[in-house]
Amino acid sequence: MSLFSDTSHLFVRSLKKLLRNPILLFFSLFQPIIFLLFFTQLFKNFASVPGFAQAAGTTSYLNFAIAGIVLQNGFSSAFQSGTAVVDDLRSGFLTKMLATPVSRPAILLGRILTDAVRVVAQSTIILVLALVLGGTIKEGILGYLLMLATIAFFGLAWSGISLSIGLKTRSAETVFGIAGTLTFPLLFMSTALNPRALLPDWMQTVSTYNPISITVDAVRAPMITGFDAGTILTAFGVIGLIGLITMGATLYLFRKLVS
Amino acid sequence: MSKPTAIQVENLVKTYGDGTKAVKGISFNVGEGEFFGFLGPNGAGKSTTIKILTTLLRKTSGSASVAGLDVEKDAGKIRKLTGVQMQDTVLDEDLTGRENLFLQGHLQQMSGDPLKQRVNELLKVVDLEEAADKRAGYYSGGMKKRLDLASTLVHRPKLLFLDEPTTGLDPQSRNAIWSYLKQLNEQGITIFITTQYLEEVDRLCRRLAIVDVGEIVAQGSPVDLKKEIGADRISLGFENGNPGGAVLKDKAKQVLNSIGGIDNIVDSDEGLVVYAKNGGYMVPEIVRAFDGAQIHLASIGVSSPTLDDVFLKHTGKRIRVEELDKSRSSGMFGRRRR
Repeated sequence: MSLFSDTSHLFVRSLKKLLRNPILLFFSLFQPIIFLLFFTQLFKNFASVPGFAQAAGTTSYLNFAIAGIVLQNGFSSAFQSGTAVVDDLRSGFLTKMLATPVSRPAILLGRILTDAVRVVAQSTIILVLALVLGGTIKEGILGYLLMLATIAFFGLAWSGISLSIGLKTRSAETVFGIAGTLTFPLLFMSTALNPRALLPDWMQTVSTYNPISITVDAVRAPMITGFDAGTILTAFGVIGLIGLITMGATLYLFRKLVS
Repeated sequence: MSKPTAIQVENLVKTYGDGTKAVKGISFNVGEGEFFGFLGPNGAGKSTTIKILTTLLRKTSGSASVAGLDVEKDAGKIRKLTGVQMQDTVLDEDLTGRENLFLQGHLQQMSGDPLKQRVNELLKVVDLEEAADKRAGYYSGGMKKRLDLASTLVHRPKLLFLDEPTTGLDPQSRNAIWSYLKQLNEQGITIFITTQYLEEVDRLCRRLAIVDVGEIVAQGSPVDLKKEIGADRISLGFENGNPGGAVLKDKAKQVLNSIGGIDNIVDSDEGLVVYAKNGGYMVPEIVRAFDGAQIHLASIGVSSPTLDDVFLKHTGKRIRVEELDKSRSSGMFGRRRR
């Protein structure tokens, strides 16, 4: 089946490209590590605010914030997909691929699989560092694996947003700009860095429907409160829905390129 | 004459979404094993035509087939039979030369030993064996073009589409590419090429078509097209280069028009080019007339018409290779490497 082998060849290609630009990799890990080292220290005393322990389920702000930091990293990695596609578009490499009988979906699949692998690797580094700093995962190794799976799935679905923007605008700057604009409002109006009960009323409402909250709750549960089928299924449902929409848009825009 | 057709195009039209009519109903045929030149000024519709023939762009109307296959219905089959080299060199600069060729082979559904052998063979042909395991990003312009050409050949295509394969290269690399192309054609590969290098077209192409603003304005063999000019080419250079050029040229044109027997006069960098039958007889006439009008000539030469003249006659434009090179190399700058 050429879809399978084409995807694997293109996956290897983007992985090689990624590993051959170590500076890019280093800097994309830089931000979450800064957050982990400094942000959690900055807000360390936040954990003693009345009601925090009850709302967060833990007395350590670090432990609470890990899920948010890991997710934010997944978020920015997902936006790299779009810039890589713009690169191929601008350089003409995409056209060169389209002139061969290569399976069309494989071009996108190879790309987003690379991003998923990258998110998993980066998340592992962040989580290991978090454990070193005193973080804990209640459900142990299984909990850790479930967290990774959730983040990888989230990364896959969200990379569709950056892919569509990249295909539509053909500009890496626009992809970065939109990513930058979206990141913080979505993050701040979610339960990524602050328990729901401590958010202002209107933000609580927004955060209930914010897909970042829904995902971050599912990533956090195995760490703090333990496996919770409801939270996890909701998150996978929402991510899946987002994935369907973003990948649909990406495929549509991709098809349009050829006509 | 009745060779099987490699490319058949009838009333091909392409109108872009913004209303631009890039191709306005062109028709031509290319026989199997031909070396076919597709010439025209910038924006004539050459690249658009190549993109349609290589299944990268949908046509608006008309019909086009490659190797007897319809460009839209049998796109997948055409992609297996053809190799395409784009106007800008396209490589993955993070991968080595060898990896680029392997990837291209994989995309063409090749694998295992046959692919490995083919890659080694091609690296030898384009003289990149030593640099094969260096990243393509570190290659020189000539090496990149050679690797790009090799990557279009991995799957042994029967037809090769080349869009300006030698533009922007130094003369040595250019000659290397032309000699590969000649060899490929001798092996039976049909070559469809756009280029600014008319001398090479004259030497290698058995037939050519000239397009201008989306229409074919001339087609035939280089010999026939040159014959059509039906006149010799007399080039006139004025003293002191060309100071006060326009006035002097106007005066010279008036004098020339008074002589009679001249078909056409056009401006050139050195002065003027005059087309006339029996050029040899015209030279003394021109010299005498210019003497009488106090116009001093620095040089005068008679030659048979070239493809340059054919191009000029049909498009009113001259191909200027140098200018193009500059604009292209500055355009590529800052676009590669992140």
